Amino acid sequence: MITPRTEIIRGTVDMIPLIVAVIPWGILVGAYGIESGLTGIETQALSLTVFAGTSQLVAIGMLESGAGFASILITTLLITSRHLLYSMAMRNDIKDLPFRWRSSLGFLLTDELFVNAQREDLSFNRWYALGGGFSFYLAWNLATLCGIVAGAFIPDLSQMGLDFAVVATFIAIVVPMVKSSSVLACVLVSTVVSIYCTVQGYQMGLLISIAAGMTTGYYTYQLRRRK
Amino acid sequence: MNYWLLIIAMTGVVFTSRYLFLEPKLPLKLSDEALRVLSYSAPAVLSAVIGPLVFTHEGALITELANPYLIGAVTAVVLMLLTKNTLLTAVLSMTLFLIIN
Repeated sequence: MITPRTEIIRGTVDMIPLIVAVIPWGILVGAYGIESGLTGIETQALSLTVFAGTSQLVAIGMLESGAGFASILITTLLITSRHLLYSMAMRNDIKDLPFRWRSSLGFLLTDELFVNAQREDLSFNRWYALGGGFSFYLAWNLATLCGIVAGAFIPDLSQMGLDFAVVATFIAIVVPMVKSSSVLACVLVSTVVSIYCTVQGYQMGLLISIAAGMTTGYYTYQLRRRK
Repeated sequence: MNYWLLIIAMTGVVFTSRYLFLEPKLPLKLSDEALRVLSYSAPAVLSAVIGPLVFTHEGALITELANPYLIGAVTAVVLMLLTKNTLLTAVLSMTLFLIIN
């Protein structure tokens, strides 16, 4: 029988692989925050209220290199703008729910939750999404705490390559998505363009790459459908 | 700089980007075409994050093959294709990476 309880549990269980994979990443954010001169409480507050790994990491890195308030905020806006796409894609599922649901699921809408809640084999269930999103939130914050504590004792913890956790997680998410030539084209173009933009030092690199990947995917799909 | 102000501002920016299109009062109808385009958002985003992490270091292209990130990434792709197990792939490729790094 499907009840809120069973759906919360199912959402949590389905999130476990991504929870395990995000732990090193959370530890990195915690340790790096301390190293960059934030207090433990400020570092934890980032995870508690911002709850966005890439934005947090980049912001901490910018603080360390002495960037100003405005440039950090603009960079956050660029990095986080991908969530606009997620909320647009989830709009039909969530927009008619009460405000407390919209705001909670919106707050919890990470890359990971988007991927799990959007799986093709399941129809959207709010409790399932809540279970996955909230367990991921707890794990992210506990991992950050571990990083804050460990970072105080182990110098250079943030230099150990914990950011590979991001690569491993995202690859594990992307590979099963590549079920058609259009997704493959999207992935390849997005990767190549992102590397090019980074080497060129474009601030808008992430956005440009995402736009290039999505456009390529869409037109590849259209081309193949016409044949 | 006031770090608390920064944390509050970042929270506002991130939450707004996640919530904006979940708001029913926002006048927006999504066509099937738009939804199709959006279906490519996740793979595009994730690839665009992975690419520079694996192939660049401090803004420069890494051309050597003996790049721990590349070796780890290729391992993750192969493991995922073979096992289709997210957890196993993440744990094994991270372990390998930490050993060779």
